[in-house]
Amino acid sequence: MSTNAKDMPRREGAFEREPARRVFAAELRECRYQFKDGEDEKSPTFVLLPSGERSNRIFIVGTLTEKTRQGEQNIFYRGRVVDPTGTFFIMAGSYQPEAMQQLAKIETPAFVAVIGKPSLYQKPDGAWLVSVRVESITVVDKETRDLWVLDAAKHTLDRVDAYTKEPTPDILKAKEQYPTIDPSLFRKIAWDALAQIKM
Amino acid sequence: MDYSEAANRISRKFAQSGQTPDVKKIEGKLKRLVDEFGVQPSEAERSVTSELAKEFNLPVPGAGSAPGGGGKGGGTEEKKIAESVPGEWVTLEGKIVALSAPASPSIAQSGIIADDSGAIRFVVWAKSNAPAMAEGSWYRIESAVVDEFKGVANLKVHSGTTIKEITEDRSLIPTPAPIRDLHPGIGSVRAKVIQEWDASHERMLQSGLLGDETGTIKFVMWKEPGKERLVPGAVYNLFYTQVDEFNGRLSLNLNTATILQEEGEIAVSGGEATITGAMVHIAPGSGIIKRCPVEGCNRALSRQNYCPVHEIQPKFIYDLRIKGWLDDGEKTHNVLVQREVVESLTGITLAQAQEIAENNPLGMDEVFLQMRDKVLGRYITCSGREIDNRLLVNKCEIVKFSSADHTALLNRAGGVPS
Repeated sequence: MSTNAKDMPRREGAFEREPARRVFAAELRECRYQFKDGEDEKSPTFVLLPSGERSNRIFIVGTLTEKTRQGEQNIFYRGRVVDPTGTFFIMAGSYQPEAMQQLAKIETPAFVAVIGKPSLYQKPDGAWLVSVRVESITVVDKETRDLWVLDAAKHTLDRVDAYTKEPTPDILKAKEQYPTIDPSLFRKIAWDALAQIKM
Repeated sequence: MDYSEAANRISRKFAQSGQTPDVKKIEGKLKRLVDEFGVQPSEAERSVTSELAKEFNLPVPGAGSAPGGGGKGGGTEEKKIAESVPGEWVTLEGKIVALSAPASPSIAQSGIIADDSGAIRFVVWAKSNAPAMAEGSWYRIESAVVDEFKGVANLKVHSGTTIKEITEDRSLIPTPAPIRDLHPGIGSVRAKVIQEWDASHERMLQSGLLGDETGTIKFVMWKEPGKERLVPGAVYNLFYTQVDEFNGRLSLNLNTATILQEEGEIAVSGGEATITGAMVHIAPGSGIIKRCPVEGCNRALSRQNYCPVHEIQPKFIYDLRIKGWLDDGEKTHNVLVQREVVESLTGITLAQAQEIAENNPLGMDEVFLQMRDKVLGRYITCSGREIDNRLLVNKCEIVKFSSADHTALLNRAGGVPS
């Protein structure tokens, strides 16, 4: 009966931007599980990394080796960004006009820093593809690429270490979704990536 | 359907306040709402009750209590201010510690009343015909209502409330709370003025930042006779300030506060932060901007040289800034980089940026693009003061590759070359 009934629920704290996770191509390509956090249409979508962390956004630095323009009416660009462990598939369409213009201008090959959102697709032949929708892409130097390899290795090792310790809900989910993947594999991958940087 | 029971129930609620509403009329109104307008019976009862309450200039009886549970109306308990909860009728004794200018003609008086347990804002409705209360005096307020306005508890004095001046000679000294523990309502703090900001509104006397050992908080004081600006660097006891919340952030409105300067010193904590991460976004409004030249304004102008307060300003002043997000892989930090730091980070000076803005066909956009291409995706260490979740950067460095870090990570990853 009181007017309190129609009181709006208290707004949650200030907006928090989703952090950009650091992940090697070799780990990202193993992803098979994505989920929405919340019921809302605008709730963020996350791809679950096999090492047990959710990612709504990733930051990668690698070599843009190839880019292709596709589509007639709706132009979009696809590209391949290579890191020491494998290949990221990136795309930018008319919903990311700024990213598309940036990508269109870059001559391959070049070191690029990419901020984007990963998502999972299943191809008609049943194969899975993890593609990164670009939010922005810029040409960087080799030092930034090397710094990224260190950064990605550090975060990969942090995740692998956390995986074996007290499990978070996301780690439990990863164990359930990726029963055949042993994250200690990613420790080896991180080592290989680091070893490719010349001292 | 029979409405007489509901009509009698409503009429009894008002009989307690000495009013005699026409039961037949109530019944007719209920019938009309339910039969003609398809209103739920409980909703019809509520709306007829509140209509009558307005007519008799009374608060809605039974507000906050369950429907049908009426009959208790007016039962008020004597309480300490800190114990009063929105939705309750209360009787309390307290001292008027602040009076503020009524915000509307329907309000006779507003201010803050305090006892030794705490303080609460109050509003006296003009319709209540209550006697005017004087600042510094003690009163016993019987049968007032506590409700919630903008998330803050508020004591409402209406025509059913009785106010009696009482003789009390206790001095009330509130205990200051650490800034970290403040919550919306009324609060007292002991804090140092660590920053003074340019007034963003002509009615604003002063705004800035207060700090104590536990954190910092924004404050504002509006122009009013008798108000004096705080001295930057000085320490104050601020009793009974109004703690407001906006977008999850707290700020202090000092207009109601009792302000006492003191000699002490406070080691203001925190604020200073250093973050290393990758710059993952450069926001619009970065690059070269135009600022309003009016003294004390300094707002960023729109493309048409329009200041939200001082309108068109053709004699603007150029400035550089970068607004962006610095991401360490776990958390993204909002950063605001100031001019000198932008110059050293991008290698573009204000003079060069101005030359580009005035001569390049893309104008100011060209400066944005050039700066974006130099900073986006780079690893940067930023230091500065963190305010409201935003780092105001006064020092910045591009991260260099460290072979020591490289070796340490190789060792951590373990294994030997195979």
